[in-house]
Amino acid sequence: MALSSIFGGASPSQQQSTTATGSSSKVAGIKEQLKTQIGQELAVANASELVNKVTENCFEKCLSNPYSSAEEGCVDQCLAEYMRSWNVVSKAYVARIQQASTSGEI
Amino acid sequence: MSSISPNDLSNLDDNSKKEIMTFLESENSKQKVQMSIHQFTNICFKQCASNVSNGNLSSQEETCLRNCVNRFLDTNIRIVKGLQGLQ
Repeated sequence: MALSSIFGGASPSQQQSTTATGSSSKVAGIKEQLKTQIGQELAVANASELVNKVTENCFEKCLSNPYSSAEEGCVDQCLAEYMRSWNVVSKAYVARIQQASTSGEI
Repeated sequence: MSSISPNDLSNLDDNSKKEIMTFLESENSKQKVQMSIHQFTNICFKQCASNVSNGNLSSQEETCLRNCVNRFLDTNIRIVKGLQGLQ
């Protein structure tokens, strides 16, 4: 699972049938709108979770020694490191899930 | 985007409702995986990223992260089994 997916990169295509008047296409429009809205809200929830966690971690890592000149750029580097960690963790977890599902554990 | 009114929702036929439920279930399980990744990254970053150096991960740090995820899951499985044994 790539990091881009948490920002809603894979959200369903948004098709609003404004010109169509039939009830079946209206239903299809509502369905699409529901899916898009749910996808967007999940993406927002994921993004804010990420911002909270990165802030918490990088605050601890970088501001433990306040006013030192060494912390310049620390938060930026910490953020980059956190994102890379996110990708490594994601790959390891997905690999574990796949391994467990092929071996019949779950 | 205009919001969906409750009236719109009650107009949905059974098949559409079923489709939405299936969609919700799949999004829900994807979201559970995402939240686990957030949780693991939070825990394992604290364990493994000892000092913020240049924004890159060393190979030791990567190995540490992978081991951290796997040991966390091992612990989880063992605890579930232990609790099942208590019943």
